[in-house]
Amino acid sequence: MESKTKLHSLERLRIEDVESLCDKLTDKLRNDVIYQLNRRGAVVGISGGIDSSVTLALAVRAFGAKNVVAIMLPERDSSPDSLRLGNELAKTFGVKALVEDLTEALQGFGCYKRRDEAISRVFPSFNPATDKAKIVINQNIGKAIPSVFSVMIISADGKKHSKLLPVSEYLQIVASTNFKQRSRMSMLYYHAERLHYAVIGTPNKAEVDQGFFVKYGDGGADVMPIGGLYKTQVYQLAEFLGIPDEIIQRTPTTDTYTAEQTQEEFFYQLPFETMDLIWHGWENKCPPEELAHELDKSTDEIRNIYNSFERKRKTTDYLRMPPIFYDHNM
Amino acid sequence: MKIFEKVRQYLIEESMCDPDKLSDDTLIFDQGLLDSMGLLYLVQFLNDEFKVVVNDQELIKENFESVNAIASFVAGKLEEKKSLPAEQMPL
Repeated sequence: MESKTKLHSLERLRIEDVESLCDKLTDKLRNDVIYQLNRRGAVVGISGGIDSSVTLALAVRAFGAKNVVAIMLPERDSSPDSLRLGNELAKTFGVKALVEDLTEALQGFGCYKRRDEAISRVFPSFNPATDKAKIVINQNIGKAIPSVFSVMIISADGKKHSKLLPVSEYLQIVASTNFKQRSRMSMLYYHAERLHYAVIGTPNKAEVDQGFFVKYGDGGADVMPIGGLYKTQVYQLAEFLGIPDEIIQRTPTTDTYTAEQTQEEFFYQLPFETMDLIWHGWENKCPPEELAHELDKSTDEIRNIYNSFERKRKTTDYLRMPPIFYDHNM
Repeated sequence: MKIFEKVRQYLIEESMCDPDKLSDDTLIFDQGLLDSMGLLYLVQFLNDEFKVVVNDQELIKENFESVNAIASFVAGKLEEKKSLPAEQMPL
């Protein structure tokens, strides 16, 4: 019964004609890049994840493989799978693939050192050479309290320790790891300018709306063709566009911290299918009791998740804002 | 100043809310007075002001939903500290 109602709800988000939507997106992408931005091709940063893969496939449909360059941007904390899957994706779509290792640039910025210093202030025994670390949320999104981050370290013997992050350490860890996304953006623009191409961004609707991106990092791009698509819809496009199965099956990760971390545990706190449905319900003002019934959750839980979405939307407005230009006549 | 008043004063200054609108039981998250960064800064304030260290497991609605809840939580933590032998005191 539960799966039936959930299935019914998911139908609401299901794209009926995927081919037609892909055609519309690629037509718009081509027009925007060629006529609005006056650029002659596309640069896409690929990570071996579903979003960048779908974006690359759309770019290939829009410009042809010879006018698209895929760029892999590993650094010392990246999973080796990202490079392998990125190469496989580039081969599948016949595009030129470049690898730009950002480790030295990030060392120059002090990214790792600044991050590890902050972690060591919380866990003085932390040894970056042997221990792994990640940021986690230990509160449940369905409870009426905002999410607050903790740092978890995993020692060489597999033991896990987690502590609530004090505000200055939290901000330092975030600010230092954001060098990664901003360095990727710089490298993508280097190649885009060298080729007179546009940078095609990869965030999906959940990332854009909930602010799960770095301002002037992965949020820095010329066009974001999948920015209006729910994650479940991105998967639909992936199937249609022929993205390799291993990429479709792969659990979305942040690929940012030394310890493996899924996007669900770092940010969303809900499985994608459920999150998409509740976000859709919130956006369309669906009464919490109605959605609670459909998803077999309590009304309070849905109400708390709606509140959490509202908070996320509000607190991340800053990320979506363009610079505020002052008129000298003000 | 008592714990309750210090917490209330902090929340008024941080959220810049109308003091008349912050009653003892106002639900501070439901009313949008604090978001997640605001909660982190509050935890820092409790540490700076009362030397209270908040653990992961204590960060629940029951301890933080209102001025009353926060003041009771802090009072409980201070009581707990008093009853601990000096060598077990959290730093």
